[in-house]
Amino acid sequence: MSIIEATGICKTYHRGREEVCALKGVDLSIEPGEFVSIVGPSGAGKTALMNILGCLDAPSCGTLMIDGVQVTGKGEAELVKIRRDHIGFVFQQFFLIPTLTVGENVGLPLIFSGIPYDRARIDSLLDKVGLSHRAGHLPGQLSGGEMQRVAIARALVNKPRILLADEPTGNLDSVTADGIYGLFDDLHRQGITVIVVTHNRELAQRAGRVITIRDGCVERECGYPHVSP
Amino acid sequence: MNLFSLALRNLQRRKGRTILTIIGVAIAVAILFSLLSFSAGYERELTKEMDSLGFHLLAVPKGCPYEATTLILHGGVIPKYLTTEDLARTRATEGVKTAAPVLLQQFVKDGTPHIVYGIEPDAMIPLKPAWKVNGRFFTANETHVMVIGSTLAEKENLVPGSVIPFGPAQEPFTVIGVLKPTGSEDDNFHFLPLADAQRVFSKEGFITAIAVRADDVKNIHDITVELEKVPDIQVVTMAQVTGTIMNLVGSARSLLFSVIVIAIVISAAGITNTLLMSVNERTREIGMMKAIGASGHHIGILLITETLLITLSGGTIGIIAAMAGSGIIETFVRGMVPYAPSGSFFSSDPLLIGGCLVFSIGLGLLCGLYPAWKSARLSPMEAIRGEWE
Repeated sequence: MSIIEATGICKTYHRGREEVCALKGVDLSIEPGEFVSIVGPSGAGKTALMNILGCLDAPSCGTLMIDGVQVTGKGEAELVKIRRDHIGFVFQQFFLIPTLTVGENVGLPLIFSGIPYDRARIDSLLDKVGLSHRAGHLPGQLSGGEMQRVAIARALVNKPRILLADEPTGNLDSVTADGIYGLFDDLHRQGITVIVVTHNRELAQRAGRVITIRDGCVERECGYPHVSP
Repeated sequence: MNLFSLALRNLQRRKGRTILTIIGVAIAVAILFSLLSFSAGYERELTKEMDSLGFHLLAVPKGCPYEATTLILHGGVIPKYLTTEDLARTRATEGVKTAAPVLLQQFVKDGTPHIVYGIEPDAMIPLKPAWKVNGRFFTANETHVMVIGSTLAEKENLVPGSVIPFGPAQEPFTVIGVLKPTGSEDDNFHFLPLADAQRVFSKEGFITAIAVRADDVKNIHDITVELEKVPDIQVVTMAQVTGTIMNLVGSARSLLFSVIVIAIVISAAGITNTLLMSVNERTREIGMMKAIGASGHHIGILLITETLLITLSGGTIGIIAAMAGSGIIETFVRGMVPYAPSGSFFSSDPLLIGGCLVFSIGLGLLCGLYPAWKSARLSPMEAIRGEWE
């Protein structure tokens, strides 16, 4: 069973009187443990698709199933639960809270999920992203790459099956970006479904499947569903 | 880590702004606490002072009765007198249990005004059960002796047995007793036998006022009516004095309440502005929190906790500041009110402290509600894009 099954997804925005069709009937099926890159030019509808797949936005038409659960039509309270239990988010701007330490930033989702604050789990995640020595530092003391690693650790703290990353290397230099993709690759190998939206076609090729979006439609797919070993 | 510690850390981001908002709340609560505290304390002390007077009504010369009464209570001198005939008629009035004549005079010594009370001990002492004397009280016929109030004794370094030059002729007078502290204006006065006071100040046959105690409070009205038939006499009951003073104080209190309302409105606008700015700056972060599992409820609680931390800190600081500065505030209030009882107005009633803290919480909830509601209902996607409005 696919972990994400999107059928006929379309999204229309209103910008003043203008109607913008960001997505025009996208069909997409992602298997558990896949590493997928979504690429395309600016305004192609990549982020709109990512927001819908992450239950941050509702499609104007079509249906979406996450881990066998019908998502379309559900209320915000249920969507919060789906996001919390199934999905980890990584953003281009990191969104770390400047007054919290690295360890506290990683543990932030635990406050909202009602899970007891698990220091050992936070330490293990920081170890996984290579930042165990930075647990007590504030975000302002970190480099861009380190901040994104903290954001990735935060996205994993609720043990999601899906990791969605929207332009995660957009603010990073090429060497650091390469390291972040290495980390995604590791997570994919551990069985997490990783979906990355990026402009960088070279890095996108490191995923098992590359989906190109143009003008709100899937233009082409390269590679095949390649699940983790 | 929990929502409380997250709220606390959020407030540390813009320390200056947070501190200024807390100061705004502290000022509003300090004014509120002082006003309520002094209002309660004033009424309590005024009632206590009126009760300690020991008489129900005062017969004063016709003229301005309330002015005369407050002057007499404070120890002032009025240039009009009753006579011993008036005293006799008062004593003969039905329902009068005690009628104690008083002659009030003032003299200046070393630049300080001194108040002299000429009294008949047999009539006045029963009206003053709170009077306890170190040494002894004088009898009606003694001369060149006096009893003084405790504050005066301390100020002038006088003890029973001290001999001081007294009056216009600087006659030697012996202090034969010092009143134990009463907490009233009596602590500042010289008390002399009435006849001797009349002699010293050349006011033979004259008295300033007559303190009257009725045999039953029900008879106060009848006594008043009867006494006012005497051409020289005007009667003021203590209830009228209390009521008049409270009315005058009420005007000052209304003015202060207007000030507090303005202070609270300004403070509330400041808190709401701080929160709205804070939410505005953190819109994308709120979107991130919603993406990683925060519900609108979590965001609302976070914002309300931040507001409550501001208002409760401000409230606590305000109450402590008001208590610490109560002496200065009391001096200021004393200058503003038409009659100030001698006891301390300040009241640190736990109920009042609790009430002011509850007010701080209410203020926080009121101010935090809109920003909390607004941020709670933001869609995560709009918030991540930074679309606040």
